[in-house]
This record gives sequence, structure tokens and C-alpha cells, in this order.
Amino acid sequence: MLAFIIRRVGQSILVLLVVGVVAFSMFNFVGDPIDNMLGQERTAEDIARLREQLGLDRNFFVQYFRFLQEAIQGNFGVSYRQGRPVTQILLERAPATLELAAVSSILAIVFGIALGVFTAIRRDGVLAHVIMSASLIGVSLPTFLIGILLIYVFSVELGWLPSFGRGDVVDLGGWKTGFLTASGLKALILPSITLGLYQMTLIMRLVRSEMLEVLRQDYIRFARARGLKDRTVNFHHALKNTMVPVITVIGLQLGAIIAFAIITETVFQWPGVGLLFINAIQFVDIPVMAAYLMLISVMFVGINLLVDILYFFIDPRLRADRTGGH
Amino acid sequence: MSRRICAVAAALGVALAAPLAAEDFRWAVTTDPQSMDPHAVNSTPVLGFLNNVYEGLVRRGKDMSVEPALATAWEPIGQGEGWRFTLREGVTFHDGSAFDAEDVLFSYERASSPEADTASWFAPVSEVRVVDARTIDFMTNAPNPLFPSSIANWMILDSGWAEANNATRPDKESGNFATINTNGTGAFRVTAREPGLRTVLEPFEGWWGEAEHNITRAELTPIQNPATAVAALLSGDVDFINPVPIQDAARLAQDPQVKVVQGIEARVIMLGFPHEAGALKYSAETTDANPFADARVRQAVAHAINVPAILQTIMRGNAEPVNQLVSSAMSGYSEALADAPAYDPDKARALLAEAGFPEGFSFGFKCPNDRYLNDESVCQAVTGMLAQVGLTASLDAMPVNNYWPELRGGNFDIFLLGWSPGTFDAEHPIRFLVATPNEEKKLGSWNFGGYSNARIDELLPLIQSEIDEDARQAMLDEVAQIMADEQAYVPLYVQPLVWGTRANIELTQRPDDFFILRWVTVN
Repeated sequence: MLAFIIRRVGQSILVLLVVGVVAFSMFNFVGDPIDNMLGQERTAEDIARLREQLGLDRNFFVQYFRFLQEAIQGNFGVSYRQGRPVTQILLERAPATLELAAVSSILAIVFGIALGVFTAIRRDGVLAHVIMSASLIGVSLPTFLIGILLIYVFSVELGWLPSFGRGDVVDLGGWKTGFLTASGLKALILPSITLGLYQMTLIMRLVRSEMLEVLRQDYIRFARARGLKDRTVNFHHALKNTMVPVITVIGLQLGAIIAFAIITETVFQWPGVGLLFINAIQFVDIPVMAAYLMLISVMFVGINLLVDILYFFIDPRLRADRTGGH
Repeated sequence: MSRRICAVAAALGVALAAPLAAEDFRWAVTTDPQSMDPHAVNSTPVLGFLNNVYEGLVRRGKDMSVEPALATAWEPIGQGEGWRFTLREGVTFHDGSAFDAEDVLFSYERASSPEADTASWFAPVSEVRVVDARTIDFMTNAPNPLFPSSIANWMILDSGWAEANNATRPDKESGNFATINTNGTGAFRVTAREPGLRTVLEPFEGWWGEAEHNITRAELTPIQNPATAVAALLSGDVDFINPVPIQDAARLAQDPQVKVVQGIEARVIMLGFPHEAGALKYSAETTDANPFADARVRQAVAHAINVPAILQTIMRGNAEPVNQLVSSAMSGYSEALADAPAYDPDKARALLAEAGFPEGFSFGFKCPNDRYLNDESVCQAVTGMLAQVGLTASLDAMPVNNYWPELRGGNFDIFLLGWSPGTFDAEHPIRFLVATPNEEKKLGSWNFGGYSNARIDELLPLIQSEIDEDARQAMLDEVAQIMADEQAYVPLYVQPLVWGTRANIELTQRPDDFFILRWVTVN
């Protein structure tokens, strides 16, 4: 068991290193940050000097090695654009993304499961058909289009909700939260719907099909035959047994929500790490790009590692394999 | 009794004269100013914003003319050995410390240091002498009539503040106190700064000037996505956006709640050629010759492009054609120069035949796709028009972050370039785009094609030091005429400036794209 975990951790570290190599080799294609850092009256001398100072004259393996050296000590360098430590910037921006991701996930899970159960139980009802058709929108429309549509309806036409930003925030010892002000909560509504819509429809469709599958099972029929209430059968027996795959998917999608908040954050000018990353690409802010990509890959690798380890405990076959047996 | 009534009436009068409600003004721009240090980054978003916070010895007025700011007067020394500035009395920085000549000297040393991005402004300066607390002399290498106007964006920092906070030199790479904090003498002070998120300004009570605005608080938010910015303006979440996407300008103008403020920017968009190259780099068949070295081929390009059509369709009528490297709003603009070559495809074909390319030829056309307004669409239109006369361009459009390295590497057969003269004078593009490249003299640093004309190189230093305006203009006219005759570049149009505001906002738009808060009135 310990050997299994060590092996998995080792593999994860290898994956991270490879991600880093790919990321750093890509930075060469994003362009040259020098022109963004110097004004139009710069001389060839200025360009050469700055390039040397930033270490851009070295090849990317050297740059990558230097990045790793510093990163291991928790130092991700200084942002080219802002001239401030990247760690500090990421910590400032993370609460916005995490709060948005949390609200989106909760919306997606609550509404996804509720609508999934509803459309499964009333599979032939008119409303269920309407919901199923509408869910196609969530799956097929690109996020930025949904975002813009919501802004035009609820901000421009109706004037109910803010068109961009996070509203007023309250500083709780470095964590700036939008949960404690009216404008902060209002500002959360449109972006969280935009970000959560895809996940919601995904969960809803998954719950529905799992539910339909389970409802056909013998033990459900027996439960009905025993004269149990519909409610008890549907929620106690059926829903409970659909949740295993649903929880797996929700877990994996949680990472996706954080990683893919980029588009939603750009449309709503939501001041999170995704928007920071987009800005960094536009400016060729290599330290910020590198730190963000590492952060996201650590997150994904971490989730996968956890899932692997959980499987080890849940699935006896895996255990039997690894411990050798007879 | 009556005296008391008078006092009450006076108090009421004061109360009524002052703005009744707090005028909160919110505006959105595409690019957040990347630094609060006025010497660290010489770019429009930074200098435009900081013009509200910091001040220079001189500043530009609503019509771009130079007017007194921290200096009340200036005069040439002797026969043009330098300039003497008389400094304003009673000016204080936002933190309350007094302004004097030592701050000017310190700011000169700081802004002209190698760490600064503004050092080129001080290339003509040989020495700066503090005469007394209210007088300072700038000695120049040669007579420099334009020096006062060339330092309009050079802002003064408090020497004591910079020293106390370890910010005596700008630091682009790792930043310092002055990257985030400010202490200027300007009409507004920064009360909150969250890079990339918001910057809050409030009027500086101790400002020496008289406030024209009625703003009590202003907040700047960067909004990258143009559609979001337009929505924010329409919904009233912001009072002003810059820029308005060209394609939305007409629609916004229809809305009674908002206004579109249009003008021309100082930026001229042009095509450039590889003058020096021995052969084309991206041609299918012309691999051993450089047709663009022949002025007739360059003229053919100029005649083949229908600029008015481009402006009508792609710029929706918001831009103006131009025949030289600066717009008519700049000083030194050559009135004498004839109009740009007219659209005449037959003449273009004839010129090509005369130059020995009756069948035309193919070449590579480099273009940015995120630098200028609708740049890629303009390049596509140009490509189509050139094809009509047999010039087959293969267009390669790319993000600006990749574009400049390509141009510096000489990887083009034709390229698109926009130029906004930092000094608002016709001498500026000659120095950077036309003069023969010379690293030592810091000339021609953007002359990617390596254009070289001995007469122009000879005229440039004369233009820089000529005090007599007519003689100077005559030389500028001569340069403009040579450029037109040789078709060194093909100037296409002056880029438009399109701002959007709520209907209750009054403001002033300047061609340098600076948004000056003290000219804003909220009605």
C-alpha cells in the first residue's frame, strides 16, 4: 500500500515536470515580453539589457531549471507586468475564483440533481421534455455567448444585475469575500450561472439516465410491491444508488470549473486567477503564466492522486493485485 | 443681527455653489496602467492615467498646445545653449511636502537614468543646474527649440518621498514602492490601487490650480472584453469607456442614454518596405531580386490601394486619409505637400511594367492582428487590392507579441506599422522611422526596412536645432516631399479615436488619447 502511494506520487511529480517542460517550450511561441515592457522610444541597447536581466537570452531549458529552483522554495518570481511577486498576486486573486467556483458548483449540483430526478420520474411529462430540450442549450452554447446574453438581458435591458466585476468585497484577514455584501452577492449571480450551466446540464443528464437505469431494477419493483411511498422509493432507494458515478463526475468537474473559469471571468471582468492568466498571455508575462499553469496542474494531479488512492481503498481487486497474493 | 444673517447667507451661498451631490465617476479602459511610476513605462495607458496624478514643468492644453504647469515661465538661455524654467510658488505634493527645484533635478536624474523608459527625452540635455529654489536651467548640446514641448509628459516626483521609500530609480523588472504608490502634485490623488482591478482617485484639496471638474471620486476599472465594456456603459455601470469598438459606434450613437465622442488619434497607419534587402524573403518566383527597392514599385503599391474604400467599409467612415507620417493635428505637418497618390490601378500596372514587372510578383505581407484598430481586416483589404494589379501578397497576420520580433528580425517583404509621435511633432517619425538606423546615435530604431536618404539624415539635426519656425518648417516640408517622391512608406490613414460616455458627462478628447479627469463634468 505504501509502495503504491509512493509510486503514484512519483508518477504525479513526473507529470508535473513534463507539464512544466511543455509550458516553458510554449512560452517561446506566445511572443516577446520586451516590447510590452519598454516604450516606443527604446533603443536596441535597452532591449538587449532587459533581455539579459530577465534571462530571456538563455534557452528554455535553462529558464525552466531556474524556475524550478525558485519554485521549490515557493518563489514564483516577479510579474513582468505588475512588478510584484507572483505569489502575492495569485493569493490576491484566488478568493474571487474559488468563491465563484464554489457557488457555481453548488448551483450545478443542487439544480442538476433536482432536475435530473424530476425528469427521470416524470419522464413523459411535458415539463420534463421542455427541461430536456432546454438543457441542450447548456451543453451546446459556448460559455462566452451565454455570458453576453445574460449581461444583455439582466444588466442592459432590465438593469437588475451588474454587468461586470465583483461588487464590494469585505477583507477577512487577506481573503476578500463578496459573500458579505449585497452588491457582492448580486455580482455573483450571472457569472456563477454562466460558469455552472454546463456542469448543471451534465449532472442533470447523468442523474436522469442513471436514475432511469436504477428505476428498472428489481429491488425498486420489490420496494413498490412492498407498498412503500413513491417518495421513499425514489429518493431513498433509487437516488442513493445513482449517486456513486455522479459523485465521481462531480469531483472531476470541480477541477474543471476552476480551470475553465477563464472564459467566464473574461466575459464578466471577474477579478480571479483566470482573468489574470488571460492578461498574462496578452502581455507575455511568463512568471505569471508559469505559476498559473503549475498551480492548475498541481490541482489536477492532486485530485487524480486522491481518486487513485480512494479507489485503492474502495476496490478490493486493486488491493489484491498489488499485494501479490498467491 | 444683520451681520449674522449675512454670514448665514454667505455660508448658504458657498454650500449652493459647491457640487450638491457627491459626483462619483467610473470609467473603464482596455489596458490597466501597468505601473504607477511615471518614469518606468513610456506608454499611453500609463502616462495618460498618471497625467491626472503627477505633473510636469509644462503640460498640454485641450488643443495640445503647451501651457505652464509646475513651471510658470521658460525662456531660452543665450543663443540657444539651453532653457531656463521659473518654477511655480506654493505647490505641494499630495503628502504635503513642498515642491522646489531640487525635486526637478531629482526627477531629471531619475527619468534620464538607464533604468528609466523615458531617457530618450533627455538625450539633448548636457547638464541641469539648480539656480535657486525657484529657477532651474536645462543646458542642451545644441539649440533645441522643441525642448519644453518634448518634456510635457515628464512628471515630477518628490525627492524626499522617493528616497524615504527606496524608489530613487524606477524598477521595471521587480518593481518598488513607486510602482504601486503615488505622490504627485496633480489635481487628483490615488486613494486606492489594486493592480488590474481598480484604481480610485479623489480630488487633491491642496492643488494649485482651479478645478474645472465636479468629480468627488473617480474609479478606473480595466475591462478587457469589448462587449462587456459596451454593456457596462449601456447599463450605466460605468460612465465612460475607451475605446468603443468601431462596429458598435453607430449603434451606441443611436442610444439617447449614451454619447459617442469621436476624433482622430495622433497615430498614422502606414505600409513599410524592405529597402535594404537584396531579395524578397517570401516570394514564390522573385527570389533573387528586391522589386521594392525600386521607387516605381512602391508608387505602384500606393496607387493600387483604395484608402477611401477601406475607411468607408472597415473603419465605417471614422478615419481620415493622410499623405505623410503625421496627421494634420501635429506641429510641423507639411501643408505644402500634395495629396496622397490617388487610387489608380491602371497607373499602378503601368508603373510595375515600367519597373520590369508587367506580370507582377508574389511576396510576404506581415501584419499584426491585435495592435491597431481592425488591423487584420485592413491588411486583408490591402492584400485584395494589391492582387488587382498583379501584386500577390501572402498575408501573415499575428499577435503583436510575435510581430515586433519578426520585424526586428527583418522577416517581411511588406509590413504594416502605426506611429504616434510622442512629441506631437513631425520631427519624431523622421528620427525613429526615416533616419538611417544608427545605434550609437539612437536613430532609426523603428526603421525596420533600413530606408536611408543622405539628404534627410543631413536635415534631421538641422531641424532639431532650428529656432526659426519658418526655416524649420521649410526643412520639414523638404523631408516630407522626399518621402512622398520616393514613397519610402505608404501612409494610409490616421487612426480614429472613439470614446463612449453616458449622456450626462461632458469631457474633452485629445488626439494623444489621454483621458484628463479635470476636464470632466458630471451633469
